[in-house]
Amino acid sequence: SCFLGSLSLALSESDSWGVFSEQRESIPQYRGMAHARISAKLPPDIDPTKAAIAFGERALPKLNEELQSPELLTRQRALMALCDLVHDPENVYQAIQLGFLDNLKYLLLDHDSTVREKTTEVLYIMASHNVGRDGFIKYGVIPALSQLLNDPVDICRRNMHRAFEIMAELPRGAVGIVDSSLISSLVLKLKTELDEIQELILDTLSGCLCIEAFEALATGAVSILKEKLTHPSVAIRSKAARVLLGISVPLEGKNIVWDEEVIPVLVSLLEDSDPEVRANAAGALMNATITTQGKYAALSADAIPPLLKLVDDETSKVRLNAIKALTMLSEAPEGRKTLLNHVDLFRGQLNDSSEAVSRAAKIAIKVIEWKP
Amino acid sequence: SERRVAGQQQTGDCSRGRAEPRAPAAPAAAMATGSMLPARNQEAMAAAASGTYSYCSRPRALPTRRRYRGAPGHSEQEEEPVRYANLMYDRRVVRGNTYALHALPWTAQPDPLEIQRQREAHRKALARKRAKEQHQSRTPEPVEGRKHVDVQTELYLEELGDRIIEVDVECQTDAFLDRPPTPLFIPAKTGRDVATQIEEGELFDFDIEVKPMLEVLIGKIIEQALLEVMEEEELANLRAHQYAYEELRNAELAEVQRLEEQERRHREEKERRKNQQSQLLQKQKETSEKIAARAFAQRYLADLIPSVFSSLRDSGYFYDPVERDIEKEFIPWVMAEVDETLEKKILGRGVLDTLIREVVEKRLDAFDQPEASGQPAGQTEASHRGSVQIEALHQTETQEPEAE
Repeated sequence: SCFLGSLSLALSESDSWGVFSEQRESIPQYRGMAHARISAKLPPDIDPTKAAIAFGERALPKLNEELQSPELLTRQRALMALCDLVHDPENVYQAIQLGFLDNLKYLLLDHDSTVREKTTEVLYIMASHNVGRDGFIKYGVIPALSQLLNDPVDICRRNMHRAFEIMAELPRGAVGIVDSSLISSLVLKLKTELDEIQELILDTLSGCLCIEAFEALATGAVSILKEKLTHPSVAIRSKAARVLLGISVPLEGKNIVWDEEVIPVLVSLLEDSDPEVRANAAGALMNATITTQGKYAALSADAIPPLLKLVDDETSKVRLNAIKALTMLSEAPEGRKTLLNHVDLFRGQLNDSSEAVSRAAKIAIKVIEWKP
Repeated sequence: SERRVAGQQQTGDCSRGRAEPRAPAAPAAAMATGSMLPARNQEAMAAAASGTYSYCSRPRALPTRRRYRGAPGHSEQEEEPVRYANLMYDRRVVRGNTYALHALPWTAQPDPLEIQRQREAHRKALARKRAKEQHQSRTPEPVEGRKHVDVQTELYLEELGDRIIEVDVECQTDAFLDRPPTPLFIPAKTGRDVATQIEEGELFDFDIEVKPMLEVLIGKIIEQALLEVMEEEELANLRAHQYAYEELRNAELAEVQRLEEQERRHREEKERRKNQQSQLLQKQKETSEKIAARAFAQRYLADLIPSVFSSLRDSGYFYDPVERDIEKEFIPWVMAEVDETLEKKILGRGVLDTLIREVVEKRLDAFDQPEASGQPAGQTEASHRGSVQIEALHQTETQEPEAE
């Protein structure tokens, strides 16, 4: 039994201990002598930080009541137990049906930092399930979460931003985030937050920009992103370039990007070592050079040679974006003149593995050889 | 303890029994009719009057006293079903010993005989008590063979030498000392002690028994781990899918925008060129019109000039400058000079005329004066001739210009 105890203590690190001990109560058929009943009841002090989970159906309702208890310790223990339970989507569904989200929203504003941290973790895990995301939108969790934007504890903010990031990957979630007018606060947070959280914010923004970019543009996101393009961290550079890609889709975005002279910075990023950075920079260029002034800015920043080098890159995304960017540039007469000499490069990509790349190469050749 | 309680109850009832005769009166008065006392009096008087037995208070079944107070507005109305009390539980019923109950007198006035008897009994009790006190001995009874004697030690004064030193010591328990916990009650052991020992391997074989548990545990662990790995794989797949989709979407979006832009540019270019062309045509048309107009005008005005010139010449607008010069300047000057000359001549003539006239007049004077002086007449003749000549000349000269 001491072996069992140590094993179980070791296992308590895994998130799912509570889950399977509760839900799988199967009594296995074993060959053996004594007919002692194997009980899945854990030894009582396996994890002193967790609340005892009731059996079967009562687990979640009981935790729901414990969450509302005025005593701090009870709440903390209930949250720890809940963190483990919400890895299972069925539990998430049941929890949302029972109205956990209202209690969790209330607990977000608790004084104790552990409670807040665990609550944000629970919400983040819930958000990774589709049921959870739907519940978020239905119960309006996003505005409640946004109250923690200025929380002093780092972990709370990090979990909150993680939850936002996952929400932003879903179009409806992104709509929810945009509707809560969070974009301007998120953009402003980019200046002051830690690096890890900045990455999450950038991901959230790139998800939301598919829905609406004007608010971000109004908050001066382009200048902030321009600084981030030269950040030492690779992840931040690539994500910032991705956000710029999204921002330069509407016409105002393109104009502002040209205005702030981001295009030369993007051209310099084309020679970065990380393929993601290159791909996103090429993509941003591709969007920014659709306008005539963008084209001429890129041409004056001497964008064609690095882009030509990227046409042969290993990553398909890089190739695709590079070919597209060159297509944009070849619509200008000077670009066309330069690129007429390099048409063979594009012909080489016609039989590329990725269908999108070969299509793009065909279009590029057509545009370059177009005579007015 | 039960008996004690019963005894208590009895005494309680006794005491209550004393009050019992009053009790019916009071609640009765309080409860139903409220005029029981006067009614009693009336009944007594009626009894005294009629001679038949009459009750001091008519026996009736008394309803229960309410255990709890009713609602504030309830005491006015009586509840309909009147519940009769159980006699056994009625507090007004006297219980227990009735031998020496102090019953209320029939009449309200206390009987003087009763009073006297009471007073005597009271006095006797007091006397008895005093006597008992006096005879109560303070000292214990003498031991067998001894007798208590009162002794007076006045004559034999002794000095109390060996006084035992007495010290007063006080001890006081703490005010609110808790009752000490009851000592553990361990009942005496009954039965016999029997021991047994389970040897190794008798109950179960650990290694065999633990196997299924281990299988379950590890199976569950692996299941859960697999689930989590699958979850993560699923998430990773979804992300990869999304990534590829996003790539395509961005590319397509850019393509769409590029085509839009291209379309726009081409359209604008076409518009511009069309405008240019139309402007060109416009200009051409204007130019040809201009040329036509110019040619026509030229032709029209070709013989305009000669006709104009000729009409002007006809109306005398053109002049020969020499002629004009002569006309305008020379002739007036000549005329002026001629005028002057003529004037001078006239003046000369005039002067001459006056001279002649003077001379003539003088001659005349001189002639009139008969040969006053012949010489002057001669002179005057001369002068007179001169003046006549002059006059004649003058006349002729004046005639000439007049003729001219």
